[in-house]
Amino acid sequence: MKSINLKDNQFIQFHQKISFKFDGVKYFGYKGDTIASALLRNNINLVGRSFKYHRPRGIYTCGIEEPNALVQIISEYSEPNTRATIKKIYEGMEIESQNRWPSLENDFGSINNLFSPIFTAGFYYKTFMGPHKKFWKNLYEPLIRRAAGLGKPPKDFKGISNHIHHNVDVTIIGGGLNGLLAAKSFINSNYDVLLIDFEEQLGGIINNSNKISLIDNKEPKDWLKETIQEIEDSKNINILKNTLVTTYNYINHLIAIEDRFVGSKPIEGKVNSTLHKIRTGYTILCNGHIERFLSFQNNDLPGIMLSSSFEKYMCRYGLAPSKEPVIFSNNSNSNSLVYSLIKAGLKPKAYIDSRSGEKIEPNLFDLIRKNDVPLYTNSQIKGAFGNKKIEKILVEDSSGALNEIKCDCLCLSGGINPDVHLFTQSKGLLDWDEKDLTYKPSKPFQPTITLGSSSGQFNFDNLNSDINEKLKTFNVKKLDVKLELNTNTKYNIEKLWEVSPQKKSLWAKSFIDLQNDVTTKDIRQAITEGFDRIEHLKRYTTNSMGTDQGKISSINALGIVSDLLDKNVNEVGTTIYRPPYAPLSFSAIAGRNCYEFYDPERKSPIHSWHLKNGAIFEDVGQWKRPWYFQINKDESMHDAVQRESKNVRENAGVLDGSTLGKIEIKGEDALEFMNLIYTNSFTKMKQGSARYALMLGEDGMVKDDGIICKISDQHFIATTTTGGAATVLGCMEEYAQTEWPNLKVFMNSITEQYATFNISGPKTREIMKKAFPNINFSNEEFPFMTFQFHEFNGIPIRILRASFTGELGYEIYIPSNSARKIWDNIQSVGKEFGLAPYGTEAMHLLRAEKGYIIVGQDTDGSITPIDLGLGWMIGKSKKDFLGKRSLTRSDTIREDRKQLVGIIPSNKADKLEEGQHIILDKEIKSPVPMLGHITSCYYSSTLGHDFALAVIKNGHSMIGTKAYASTSSMSTTDVDIVKPVFYDEDNKRLVS
Amino acid sequence: MLIINCPYCGPRDQSEFSNGGEAHVKRPDGSKEIGDREWGEYVFIRANPKGLFYERWVHTHGCRKWFNCVRDTSTDEILMTYKLDEKKPNLNNFKSVVKTPSGEPEVGSGNFTVEK
Repeated sequence: MKSINLKDNQFIQFHQKISFKFDGVKYFGYKGDTIASALLRNNINLVGRSFKYHRPRGIYTCGIEEPNALVQIISEYSEPNTRATIKKIYEGMEIESQNRWPSLENDFGSINNLFSPIFTAGFYYKTFMGPHKKFWKNLYEPLIRRAAGLGKPPKDFKGISNHIHHNVDVTIIGGGLNGLLAAKSFINSNYDVLLIDFEEQLGGIINNSNKISLIDNKEPKDWLKETIQEIEDSKNINILKNTLVTTYNYINHLIAIEDRFVGSKPIEGKVNSTLHKIRTGYTILCNGHIERFLSFQNNDLPGIMLSSSFEKYMCRYGLAPSKEPVIFSNNSNSNSLVYSLIKAGLKPKAYIDSRSGEKIEPNLFDLIRKNDVPLYTNSQIKGAFGNKKIEKILVEDSSGALNEIKCDCLCLSGGINPDVHLFTQSKGLLDWDEKDLTYKPSKPFQPTITLGSSSGQFNFDNLNSDINEKLKTFNVKKLDVKLELNTNTKYNIEKLWEVSPQKKSLWAKSFIDLQNDVTTKDIRQAITEGFDRIEHLKRYTTNSMGTDQGKISSINALGIVSDLLDKNVNEVGTTIYRPPYAPLSFSAIAGRNCYEFYDPERKSPIHSWHLKNGAIFEDVGQWKRPWYFQINKDESMHDAVQRESKNVRENAGVLDGSTLGKIEIKGEDALEFMNLIYTNSFTKMKQGSARYALMLGEDGMVKDDGIICKISDQHFIATTTTGGAATVLGCMEEYAQTEWPNLKVFMNSITEQYATFNISGPKTREIMKKAFPNINFSNEEFPFMTFQFHEFNGIPIRILRASFTGELGYEIYIPSNSARKIWDNIQSVGKEFGLAPYGTEAMHLLRAEKGYIIVGQDTDGSITPIDLGLGWMIGKSKKDFLGKRSLTRSDTIREDRKQLVGIIPSNKADKLEEGQHIILDKEIKSPVPMLGHITSCYYSSTLGHDFALAVIKNGHSMIGTKAYASTSSMSTTDVDIVKPVFYDEDNKRLVS
Repeated sequence: MLIINCPYCGPRDQSEFSNGGEAHVKRPDGSKEIGDREWGEYVFIRANPKGLFYERWVHTHGCRKWFNCVRDTSTDEILMTYKLDEKKPNLNNFKSVVKTPSGEPEVGSGNFTVEK
């Protein structure tokens, strides 16, 4: 195929040469070229190997519908399956062809073509059945994956995308003639309008063909320039170029992807694509039409392309892919290609039309006769032949005689389809048009308007009245545009789906889906085998299941099927087009919600101190909490946790508890509100005292716990678990607003406003005295479960005497900004008393020794306070609180509920495992009746052995008995069921 | 994906809101004696109709206010939002504009071959 440049072109900058590499060879194109147009300029048409048979394939189209010319962009993280027909080249671009080995010219896989008679529809399903299931996974699938397929997955992908939201009244999709006219009528109106076009230049058919000669008595180019300027100047219209609408969701929600680096290499670290999420009142679809191909023997040879694509290369890219193409058509849409060729000083080698003379328009006849173009009416192409490129075609003329025509390019037109993908995604209904032989939009499901060829108007006859009628719901200007055409005025298609081959052969192939290598023979076979429903047939043959979704071929398949079944196409129906319209990358969908932005990290105000002091962190919700502190690199977690916990028991430890949820509750009715939210009663509680409290769901199950500080009847501060802070606040808000709106109460999160340090251990009082010399920490002045407000060096602090470790303990609440100062002070003061920081793991161990639960670890949403042995915390005299009534439901007063107990191994040297079952049989013989499971389990150096908390059926009455714990090695351990308190049972250390 | 009209803030994207289940379910007065069944129904049982439904929503990532709405569960269309202290609207006043996408052969399925 010898191409020539047509230098009279406004879109290609012929003075600006661009070099790029294709399969390692350097070529030149011009600024504005796509990969496809640049390759055609270099007379390259073999660009890839097909999916299944590895047949040589060329550039078939000039747009998004391309089934064949998919390439791998090596210079962009090796992005696979890029359509060569839309991707623009840039200096230094590296491109590789796909699915070939060792080279595109000599592809080993093309041997598949020899065996093609056996690779028919359903071949995999029928062939790879036996002898054993494992063969598929271990042998067949890896083999097939190697042999078939398209590009290779990208490596080390670093593309960045962002998301932009739009909320507009009207979205116009497509900036072609109709899109521009629609936009024009919205100029300076009261509607917010978004005009979206896939290309860099608006204009569509005006740029892509020579169909239109004059618009409003102006050259189309000039009219276009003026109109675009008017639209750009209008304040209410926004234009998005290089943006493809891929998805049309419910309630007029559109998703569009914008390429930010058209014609240049994406810069690393910069946003290279934008995902637009558009919410619109109305959607006006002006996305035009797609030409379809025709099936005959070897209709996949490189050198065959769609006729409108050939014309687009001429008009839009200043390039005639061939000097003398043969044209084969069954409709008048290809007339303008003949006109364009002759206008450019070229002429078709032959014009073949399947229609009889009277259906062909007279002006085309004139054009063909005047220029001596060989004309074949009532004729069909029986096949195309050649080695890796088209060399000759076989034409059966009206008399039935066969003519051989030598040619290097063949342009096909099998008719055009409105681009209905988005319309059907919106759930609009299609209707078969028997005259125009295509599905056209009929009933929209959403506020969707279709204009121009996307609505099935293939002529320009009713241009003004159609637009004016369809836009009459809007208060906009009426259009009156005068259009003059160069060629056809009628579409005049005649039915032709497939031409049967001249010689019957097992190897003769007429393709119906180029991307997935489906032949018309596969369709016949599928129907013979009973797959006559179109959705079944699609899946059995994989027709139109490629990344192009059969844009140029799916209607042909319906036509063939309807002929075979002797049914109307409307009865056969069409398959559903699903989003996205064209593939879009995962990185575009993810947007900025990846890497460090995937989930925010929350850090305590003294995080940097932890980092410097060997903290190993644990994720608790979004928080980073010190898990344990390593005093040197060799210290194991076990050693560190035992050291930390022992130090708390013997000296003192400090824990950064800043992540604990803190909620401030204020208001006239705060007391009543707190009584309703928590199980405890706060009425008799003294000001300045604190209480451990439980929060239940309405089902009576423990949802959260915390310490409530009562400042006054109108002012409380509640702590929550680290992970439950947002839920608890949400729950309080919900009940305050929905159930008890009469209560005057307000609540807010103060989690991040205050840092919390928990100091505990026998030497804590000494340390506190030294750190805060003006405060009296004696047991009488500062008893257990009370709090005091103080000022320290001008910093307001609140100190609460409470403990989660079972030792004497204080919690200090400090405004976050001043927290580090006080933390440092405590560290330096505490040194002489052996104060050391401890992490969450030691905290867990210490609390478990005391039998303190952790909501979410020892409870799982099916445990009541009574199950936990915390019945004393229920304010029984209270009339109501969340979940109160549920505590007396028949299910919650059952005796065999799972209840919290302690577990210790009978033989102290034995180990216990978290999550293992407590059972009554020593031997594990399935089925094993299970009593319950271990919820928390630790080794305690204070006790000198393993111990655990567990929830087991009827646990409270089983205390003092023996049972067995299962192990991960499928054996059992003898255990004693004990009270869930292992240390300082009478709380002496806590309250003295 | 919807635009929800918060009665306090105005129209906002769905991602700012959380659903709170059926609206106008009254919490039984805890100070009165009620049976297991009545209480169990309040705690566990909610309506799940196909069609118009009174629903509670909260503007979680906004004003944190709860409000009620009328939503068509078969199309996701939100027909009305109203404050908690406003009267519950009569469902007969609403005619869903959006057609339902599931079940009905006439719309949406794209499979026109299946005709009953």
